[in-house]
Amino acid sequence: MSIIRVAVGAVILVILAVGVTAWWVTTRAQTDARVAVAWPEGVAAAVPQGLSAGEAPPITVSIDNPLANDPNAAEEGKKLFSQMNCAGCHGYDAKGGMGPDLTDIEWRYGGRPIDIFKSIYEGRAQGMPAWGNALPTAPIWQLVAYIQSLGGTFAPSAEGQPQQAVNQGLGAQAGQKQ
Amino acid sequence: MNSGTSGFLLAAILLAPLSAPALAQSAQATSTTQSSYSGATADFAGAGQAGEWTSQARDYANTRYSPLDQITPTNVGRLKLAWTFSDGTQYGHEGAPLVVGDTMYLVTPFPNTAYALDLSKPSPSIKWKFEADPSPQSIGKACCDAVIRGWAYADGKLIYNMLDDHTVAVDANTGKQVWRTEMDKVSHGVTMTQSAFVADGKVFVGNSGGEMGVNGWLAALDLGTGKELWRAHAVGPDSDVRIDATFKPFYDWMKGKDLGVKTWPPNAWNTGAGASWGFVSYDEKTKTIFYGTSNPGPRVPVQRPGDNLWTSSMFARDPDTGMAKWGYQFTPHDQWDYDGVNEAVLLDMPIEGKMRQTLVHFDRNTYAYTIDRNTGEVLVAGNFAYQNWSTGFDMKTGRPIVDPAREPKPGVKIDKVCPPDIGQKDWEPPAFSPATGLLYVGVFNICMSLTDHEVSYIAGTPYDGMEMQRFSVDGSDGNWGGLLAWDPAHGKKIWEIPEKFMVMSGVITTASNLVFYGTTDGWFRAVDAWTGKVLWSQKLGSGIIGQPITYMGPDQRQYVAVAAGVGGAAMVQQARDGFLPRGNTLYVFSINGDTITAPNEDTPSAVSPSEASSSPSQQ
Repeated sequence: MSIIRVAVGAVILVILAVGVTAWWVTTRAQTDARVAVAWPEGVAAAVPQGLSAGEAPPITVSIDNPLANDPNAAEEGKKLFSQMNCAGCHGYDAKGGMGPDLTDIEWRYGGRPIDIFKSIYEGRAQGMPAWGNALPTAPIWQLVAYIQSLGGTFAPSAEGQPQQAVNQGLGAQAGQKQ
Repeated sequence: MNSGTSGFLLAAILLAPLSAPALAQSAQATSTTQSSYSGATADFAGAGQAGEWTSQARDYANTRYSPLDQITPTNVGRLKLAWTFSDGTQYGHEGAPLVVGDTMYLVTPFPNTAYALDLSKPSPSIKWKFEADPSPQSIGKACCDAVIRGWAYADGKLIYNMLDDHTVAVDANTGKQVWRTEMDKVSHGVTMTQSAFVADGKVFVGNSGGEMGVNGWLAALDLGTGKELWRAHAVGPDSDVRIDATFKPFYDWMKGKDLGVKTWPPNAWNTGAGASWGFVSYDEKTKTIFYGTSNPGPRVPVQRPGDNLWTSSMFARDPDTGMAKWGYQFTPHDQWDYDGVNEAVLLDMPIEGKMRQTLVHFDRNTYAYTIDRNTGEVLVAGNFAYQNWSTGFDMKTGRPIVDPAREPKPGVKIDKVCPPDIGQKDWEPPAFSPATGLLYVGVFNICMSLTDHEVSYIAGTPYDGMEMQRFSVDGSDGNWGGLLAWDPAHGKKIWEIPEKFMVMSGVITTASNLVFYGTTDGWFRAVDAWTGKVLWSQKLGSGIIGQPITYMGPDQRQYVAVAAGVGGAAMVQQARDGFLPRGNTLYVFSINGDTITAPNEDTPSAVSPSEASSSPSQQ
């Protein structure tokens, strides 16, 4: 009697273990796939997670909007800006409301295309939703393209030049227009 | 009688008819002989001692009337700054400080830090500080600034809502948390900005989020433990809305089962809002609480045909059970964001010769209602400011008549709708004077251009769709506001002080017939309650959107206090010349600025370098 019980219990445990492992492996794979699409090989580690004036290692990689040469990207981004309710917080003119102004040169979390992408993808502490949970990366880059078209964003860092993290997010005097 | 006397008498008889109007005018100016315009009276139950200010509205009826009269129309010109307190935050300051005994209690906008100030010492003197630590995620979900509209004191506890949907109670003596209750989820777009209200041993709290597609509610918590006793929704089936056979709305169009479902497209009520973020009133004699509900969601009416009950409405409820006694919807199928959350001032007054127990409510839709508070019958509905969305009010049905030209269709711009979404009066509460029988209200004088955009519901994002520009009724830079005196029995404005900027402050009245209010460009004023004559003005460091109070200090001096920290809906004016930056300072005034000073022995004296502790020889 008790041997059968032990055997049944062991089988259940094995099934559970297989199931948990399968779930873990699958979600890891999904996360890795997302990361691989979002940032090219090796770049994810190089981009600083946040602003730590002077402490972030200077990066030498330039990450432009992969849709920079797509003439329709900004227009598609503008439609998404309304459809995804961005306009509800940032205003139909993107000049701010519940959320910050996206047309000026003041960027809490960085104003380069990659910084804006990350803010949309990851969400931010004061209530910006994490759209990476809901949207594929292409529409997020379209939204970035639309925001870039409003004139307040910074250029991607030039190839080989260290990015001064301390200049970001402080309404830097040299607001570089696209 | 000699010729001098008879001559005098003759002159008196001849001149009497001429002097009568002159006498009447001077009676208006002095108030000693004038009688009440409305005959309205109030029950001041729920107020603390005469020199205290123990709740946002001072009493259960929400009169905001103080019996203090040390400061008068004669000496108010000598009001000067006594002390200030800056609380270090950056959002709009909307709440009234509370004074209980010798202590002042205030709570900051986000991050909702609570302070107890010891008024018996040279002020400000911090007795304790409590850091509530709300989640900053809530900042991005608050439509109208990370504000808090007030806090409550009861049973030795300071009780208030945090922006991130918790209600917290703090021991008033020690500043230690007594209880904290989570009421809703920020991830659903819900915040809490409302002032907690205490009556009948219960704490009444409601949610915010009319622009976020939330499910609106008002709840009662046990005062001692914070445990939830009941929750009444504004939308959904009768079981959610807490309506049963005892519910008796006055008008037929509000009678029926599950109207909180049936007056919406299928399932739309789930994101229908009806949040309760305004003040609550309480009638102790009939044991009834009164409060209003927000606009319906989304803010695009074509997406939700139907009356959209019970949004833009007022409820009368039993405080023990939460069951609704009556309801009344101010703006059926609201199309312009006319929330129904504004306060109910409980007054008894003669209407057409008959004494009625009423409530007076200045709605966002620009009608001032005098309503029988036992039945929900509208007795008076008059426009207190300019509006063009309705062509009239049908007293038989109790419904406003909508102008079809102001009904928005998505993608089509309407050039001028008045009032705008924020109304000609937002949440800023009025005050009642038992002497004049008038209510004094801070108002706006603005309109909007409006284009609706159809929207989808995405949890945690706005379920909104209104694109607007606001401007004053008479062009972009006319007078954007004013303070008016209103007779609630006759539905008439008696006088109005026009202001260049919106008046979004609370108002208070005093027994010496003074009215205090502030403008959103920083003017704090004292006004004669009878005539509206401005007797004193002081410019403060930021626009005023808070509620003033007056209290007696431990030094037996009367003080008047108000916070200056512009924000909230007043920010629609931020591009105008004269608009001030944000602030976070409480200003406290007294006659001549006199206040408690430090005793001489506490004042430091200069010493020689060798005696000074900072001297190298001492190390």
